Amino acid sequence: MDLLKLLTTNEIVAQIISFLLLMALLRVFAWKKLLNLLDERRARIASEFKKIEDAQAAIERMRVDYDKKLAGIEAESRARIQEAINEGKQVSQEIRENARQEARSILDKAQENIENELTKAKHELKQRVVELTLGTTEKLLKEKISGDKDKQLASDFLDELEKVKGGEG
Amino acid sequence: MIETHAAQPELQNFIGLLAEKLEGTPFAHFLLIWENVIFSLIIVAIISLLAYFASRKSSMIPGRLQLFMELLVGGLDDFVCGILGPDGKRFTPFIGTLFIYILFMNLFGLIPFFKSSTANLSTTVALALCVFLYVQYTAVKENGVLGYIDHLMGNPRGIIAFTVFIPVLLFFIHIISELVKPLSLALRLRSNIWAEDMLLAVSAQFGIGGVPLFLFNMLLVILSGIMQAVVFSLLTTVYFALVLPHHEET
Repeated sequence: MDLLKLLTTNEIVAQIISFLLLMALLRVFAWKKLLNLLDERRARIASEFKKIEDAQAAIERMRVDYDKKLAGIEAESRARIQEAINEGKQVSQEIRENARQEARSILDKAQENIENELTKAKHELKQRVVELTLGTTEKLLKEKISGDKDKQLASDFLDELEKVKGGEG
Repeated sequence: MIETHAAQPELQNFIGLLAEKLEGTPFAHFLLIWENVIFSLIIVAIISLLAYFASRKSSMIPGRLQLFMELLVGGLDDFVCGILGPDGKRFTPFIGTLFIYILFMNLFGLIPFFKSSTANLSTTVALALCVFLYVQYTAVKENGVLGYIDHLMGNPRGIIAFTVFIPVLLFFIHIISELVKPLSLALRLRSNIWAEDMLLAVSAQFGIGGVPLFLFNMLLVILSGIMQAVVFSLLTTVYFALVLPHHEET
């Protein structure tokens, strides 16, 4: 009963009002703001983690993709190198063949030229011999023939012939 | 610094000293009557200012004060939700405010010339009444009037429902239990804090030689003050848990 004497209604009501006032003030300044902020931060951290995980997954996917592409590029480059080697071999073969054919044609042409020149020279020689023979014969017929003169004519003819031969050689 | 009322040693506070100075005036009478309420309002102002400054420029990267308040608020939210589940978040402001308010009031008596309002029965009865009314309101809101009466009768089903005696008996037992809850809350808190204040006042009587004892008692008072705030909040949370519909029953 002594305890009941310690109670005063006015004080109880005032303390209730005081507590409710504090609750209202804290609801505005602390609970609403700070709890929302904590929730927001929690959600943000979770979303950032999710983003990081997504980015890691994307990087992993890209890595696999690049590995595949790299392997494809390597195979392609190998094929191209092989193709270039083959092409080079073919071109060199063709060049060699062309050079061989050209050399043969030059040789043939040279041979032909030589033969032509020889034929021409032979023909000219023959013409010269004929001319010489005719000239000598004409001289013999125009002049009085004597023993020394005949010898001289024959000797001149032979010299001429030697000269012609020497010039042809 | 020590005065004695009805053979009880008591540490003096600034309102008591002011009332002494103005003795015989109506203002002195007013101060003496509303002493505890004035201290409570001072604490309300301090806590509100702390909360205001902590949340005024709240940002994602908190400052020291914001960090402290976030730790307190977050910790209390975890404490309440740990017992009541995620649905208990709506009770966090009430239980959290109760804890912070009681803690500040308990520890306020350690500051020279201040007083713990919780050493006064009217203060603790007021707080216990708030708890009692909010718990009853929640019980009726969550279960409905009939549902709550059913709950108070111990949810009689089957053969027990036909034996009127047992449900009625349980109903009265539960009513008494519900009424005793605020009483036990108020008396426990008031008695502990009052005893702490007495302890400090008695140890202060020993003068300079009693300083080590006084300091040791101060540590005990701090510990006990924190513990009493936790006990009051914990019991309040449990009372809410008891009246909320249980998931097993639904």
